[in-house]
Amino acid sequence: MPENVLEVTGLRRSFGAVRAVDEVSFTLPQGGSLGIVGESGSGKTTTARIVVGLERADEGEILVRGRPRGGPPRGRTARLARAREIQMVFQDPYLSLDPRTSVEAVLRETLGLHFPGRDHTPRVRELLDQVGLGTRAADALPRHLSGGQRQRVAIARALAVEPAVLILDEAVAALDVSVQAQILNLLADIREQTGIGFLFITHDLGVVRCVTDEIVVMRHGAVVEQGATDEVLSSPRHPYTRLLLESVPRPGWDPQAIAAARRAL
Amino acid sequence: MRPTPALDVRGLRVTLPGTARPVLDGVDLTVGAGETVALVGESGSGKSIASRSALRLLPTGGVAEGEVRVAGEDVLTMDAARLRQVRAGTVAMVFQDPCAAVNPLRRIGDFLTEGVTLAGTMSPARAAARAVELLGAVGLDGSVLRKYPGQVSGGMLQRVVIAAALMGDPVLLMADEPTTALDVTSQAEVIAVLATLRERFGTGLLFVTHDLDLAAAISDRVYVMYAGRIAESGPAEALFARPRHPYTAALLASTPRMEGPRGRLAAIDGQPPDLREPLRGCAFAARCPLATEVCDERAPLPSPAPGRPDHTAACHHSDLLEGSAVDA
Repeated sequence: MPENVLEVTGLRRSFGAVRAVDEVSFTLPQGGSLGIVGESGSGKTTTARIVVGLERADEGEILVRGRPRGGPPRGRTARLARAREIQMVFQDPYLSLDPRTSVEAVLRETLGLHFPGRDHTPRVRELLDQVGLGTRAADALPRHLSGGQRQRVAIARALAVEPAVLILDEAVAALDVSVQAQILNLLADIREQTGIGFLFITHDLGVVRCVTDEIVVMRHGAVVEQGATDEVLSSPRHPYTRLLLESVPRPGWDPQAIAAARRAL
Repeated sequence: MRPTPALDVRGLRVTLPGTARPVLDGVDLTVGAGETVALVGESGSGKSIASRSALRLLPTGGVAEGEVRVAGEDVLTMDAARLRQVRAGTVAMVFQDPCAAVNPLRRIGDFLTEGVTLAGTMSPARAAARAVELLGAVGLDGSVLRKYPGQVSGGMLQRVVIAAALMGDPVLLMADEPTTALDVTSQAEVIAVLATLRERFGTGLLFVTHDLDLAAAISDRVYVMYAGRIAESGPAEALFARPRHPYTAALLASTPRMEGPRGRLAAIDGQPPDLREPLRGCAFAARCPLATEVCDERAPLPSPAPGRPDHTAACHHSDLLEGSAVDA
């Protein structure tokens, strides 16, 4: 049985009177893929931000490879070690890349920070290969790349530190359908090759169905349903999961009925 | 005789300085009175430029040739005064982000009525009454009038923007990705509102989107654009069940959806053609599995499917595709 790379238990976080995250628990096995779905305000992004360390939890425990993730790190070594556990790729790669740094320099900087005193040239080449970027893209600045290429750079940078877990927060939401398919396939390849655990934060049930093994459905900060992706999507138990599924447009779709069901729930 | 279409675009060609090919290249597009038409394409396909031409909103430095008739009148040649009237009432537009469409410091009531009162088409009192009526039609009550945009949800605000678009009794309502910024359940609500309004007011609706499934679910007819040209057009059902253009077929195959096999998607290799490179043949040839020599040499013209004149595709090899799609 594969080891769990990520175990989250009883996570809670309130902002004033609002319970943004309420008793959220899940586990992610090595090489596994878990999707957290929900609408705006469901707490899915706050959960991801707590796991990666951008937000603090009021209560709860996070274990990475069986070791507690703990509070804010003390000192540079601890901070770097913590960063190597979990990496995150965001929706808009344009905002997460330095506009003045070339692709190769981005990767060298990350590698130099985490693995000092080595020659990084072969690893840079390997990373570029892994995400399907050619040598021409290596010298380019972010503004000269397409959205899909930029997202490849963001993924390469995350992979550079060999994390246990990669969090993808709506990472394909801003891409065109044909590019989105390329990136989703790329992520599937990387998961096979590396055994990194993927945590997908998304509102898109089609994407979740395509790339995850397990799913957590969140609403108003709480988990309403969780389980194997194909099971939850083919026979949802919670009315909210059913509403989400029915809301996905398809031929013969009845928006009036969905609107009525939404008001009733 | 058929009624005058809400929008009739003929041979529209838009060129921009500094590009090697036109951003729109011979676009023909019709939205009948009371018809819902979807215009589908990826970034850079020209779908937004094509739709905005109905308001003569061209990109900076853009030069347009061809005809863009709104309710029979060509907006490309009309004088400024008439154009202002068209923009104030005949054609209305709903954009992706409702928050960007409203002034956050003014009440929703002012936002709804200012267009028609400033254009002088309605007295303030009539405009207020009409605003309440339209808010009712989009499922909101009059109490919203006193609120500020920040006090309502994104879905509600998009419905406010739709109500505002209908204030001037438009012949044509254009919606450019109106639900992309919304959650799926509020998307359903906004689409439900648009569908009801079309039945009630007989407005032609041009729905610009990148979402094929959404286009299939709501529209009578669909146009698929690629690199400034119409690749395929036809009744929504036929186009999705039996696509006649390899680009449409590839787009359908690369969409992650709720039916069909899970796992790896059939991605389209490569990228759309660069605006800086001239195009000789078919724009999709470089990425097309069916492409042959003729595709690089001659741009294909739209041609109808056998026995189905309203389903056209601009592809030299449509007939090959038809067979395989039926088998699959």
